[in-house]
Amino acid sequence: MTTTANVAIAPESRRGSPVPTGAMIMTRFMELRKRRGLMIALLAVNIGIPTIFLAVRLIAHAVAPHSYGPAGGYSIFETLIAGVMYIFGFIVAATLGCTAGSVDLTEGVFRHLVVTGRSRLALYFARIPAGLMIIVPVVAVGVIMVCTVCVVAAPTKLNFDGINNLPAGLSRQGFVSWAEQHPGDAICDMGYRYKGPPSASYVNCGPNNEIIVVTNQAGSTTATKATKSEARAQAIRSANQNFSAYGTTFLSPPLKLMIDTGLWVELWAIIGFLIGLGLSSLMGQRTLPVVLLIVYEIILTPLFSRVGIPHLINAQRGLVGLAMAHIEPAGLPAVFGGGNGGGSNQLVTESTTVAVIVIVAWIVVWTALGAWRMAKRDA
Amino acid sequence: MSVIAVDESPTVRARESDWAVETHNLTKRFGASVAVNGVDLKVPVGCAFGYLGPNGAGKTTLIRVLLGLTHADAGSMSLLGYEVPRHRDVALARVGAIVDEPRFHAHLTGRQNLQILAAAREPAARGRIGPSLERVGMSTRADDRVAKYSMGMRQRLGVAACLLGDPQLLILDEPMNGLDPGGMHDMREMIRSFVAEGRTVVLSSHLLDEVERTCDAVAIVDRGNIIRQGPIAELLSGSDMELMIECSDPDAARQLLAAANLGGHADVSMDGLTISLAAGSDRAVVAEINRILVESGNLVYRLELNKASLESWFLEVTTRLGAPE
Repeated sequence: MTTTANVAIAPESRRGSPVPTGAMIMTRFMELRKRRGLMIALLAVNIGIPTIFLAVRLIAHAVAPHSYGPAGGYSIFETLIAGVMYIFGFIVAATLGCTAGSVDLTEGVFRHLVVTGRSRLALYFARIPAGLMIIVPVVAVGVIMVCTVCVVAAPTKLNFDGINNLPAGLSRQGFVSWAEQHPGDAICDMGYRYKGPPSASYVNCGPNNEIIVVTNQAGSTTATKATKSEARAQAIRSANQNFSAYGTTFLSPPLKLMIDTGLWVELWAIIGFLIGLGLSSLMGQRTLPVVLLIVYEIILTPLFSRVGIPHLINAQRGLVGLAMAHIEPAGLPAVFGGGNGGGSNQLVTESTTVAVIVIVAWIVVWTALGAWRMAKRDA
Repeated sequence: MSVIAVDESPTVRARESDWAVETHNLTKRFGASVAVNGVDLKVPVGCAFGYLGPNGAGKTTLIRVLLGLTHADAGSMSLLGYEVPRHRDVALARVGAIVDEPRFHAHLTGRQNLQILAAAREPAARGRIGPSLERVGMSTRADDRVAKYSMGMRQRLGVAACLLGDPQLLILDEPMNGLDPGGMHDMREMIRSFVAEGRTVVLSSHLLDEVERTCDAVAIVDRGNIIRQGPIAELLSGSDMELMIECSDPDAARQLLAAANLGGHADVSMDGLTISLAAGSDRAVVAEINRILVESGNLVYRLELNKASLESWFLEVTTRLGAPE
């Protein structure tokens, strides 16, 4: 034993740096990508389910066009994006995040990585781009596929409140003019919600779609056929009241809406991944964080986004799901029963600035918590 | 004095040290229990060093503290001359280690697992994947999923992982676990070859026979304390020897040797006469015993001198061999 340690040190001097190398990111990407079950779930939710749904509709419409409507169009876009991809995309992204954050620990590889001398923060941060390299393209492919089918296979006629002969893309003036010319459709199908003081008489839709004037006098109600001018005036009122809903009804989703929606769904998936990564790194396991995030997404967020609890209202405003609902692109149906879309706004109120702050805070806090725990935990 | 140095860090220069591992008063507690109790350990550079102890003695805990897998509560330590945890990243650049059993991502192949570990090391580590796999005899199975590997193959893959950093120090925690006799032989040969290349190997094990065959020096740990440490030959030289005598009249021989006052203690058993000789007894004593017996007319059929084995010495100095964890 006559040798002396005078150690060979690699020229690389970044081992203590929290910034991961490209090789670390790529190998971490490979490790996640090779998880077959997880990848199948990710692809099934983001691409498979929309694909099957649209394929069935395409085939059904091709076989029996009178019985089955077009496969695409605006309403299908709304349903798939807000109903499936937004909610389930979050869950799958969170599951991927939970996997990325915990498998090194649960599979006993973390200690092998730590004894390389590489910064634990670098080991943690390598998982973020690696996971996003999977999530972002998969969600993008799903959204692009849905958008493509919804545009290409859109209906040729607009269906608005059951009206099939209404042209698409009318201005308010054009919409009102169309209603004047079709008072039956305007009054009977669009409807009109009277908001004024109690009135002795009003124009309404009678039996067999006949336009009638209903008069309340001395406790008795009488109905007489409306004159053309009375019907036209009521149709104009109805058109004005329904124009905002008409304005967000399209044959196919507009390009801007598709882009905004794609970015919105991507953001939500990224948030889901980062929360999952941070939470699972904090807890050191995968199953419980996945369950917690599903409960959060499916139960807690819808509940606390709609029901305002006076003493907890500010805590509710801290929910990232509520914040995301507030920045939902106009033109989509409201997620969780609220939002800026076509539905009535029932969300707990929150300014856009606060919503953005909440989103950034969730990303930063969960990432920091996960990194802190990975740096401090026993390996 | 040969120097293993290849190059030096531009920022942190290793001081020349005769010790690959050096600890002073190293202590690690888990609540009220002390797993590592003021350990002063010195592992010489360029040897195979056995770290022995009963189950629960604190062997793995010490290794985990050395590698920064858990923090020490008190004391100081250095690896390859670098203070850790202060220069942990630089020190570990040339350390390879298996702690507990080697575990890998089961859904990936052996090669892919090594790619992940190599990526965490310096860029040159990627080029060592193939040679490392070849060295441990895993080249042909490197592209199979780890889920299909036996325990022995995982151990070998673990050693391959250690070699990615071209380590000057290898710390192997129970590397013989799960290996069949052939695998143990291969592992022993591999460890000796590492030492022959100038690397230092710290081997934690409870397989005393394997350690005795493989290592140059040992430390015995019990209840978190190091009881003895040093070169095996030196440690065993302080142990008693036994002389087995098969002769025609053992009882007469015992009385005769007791009267001759040769410094040993004689016992007669079914197997014959056994004489315990004090540590350091000269071989001439054996010849003298033989002469006395022959001259007294006692027929001597066999004389066998048994030096103390590591196992018997271990049993002497520890109190809890085989105690449950």
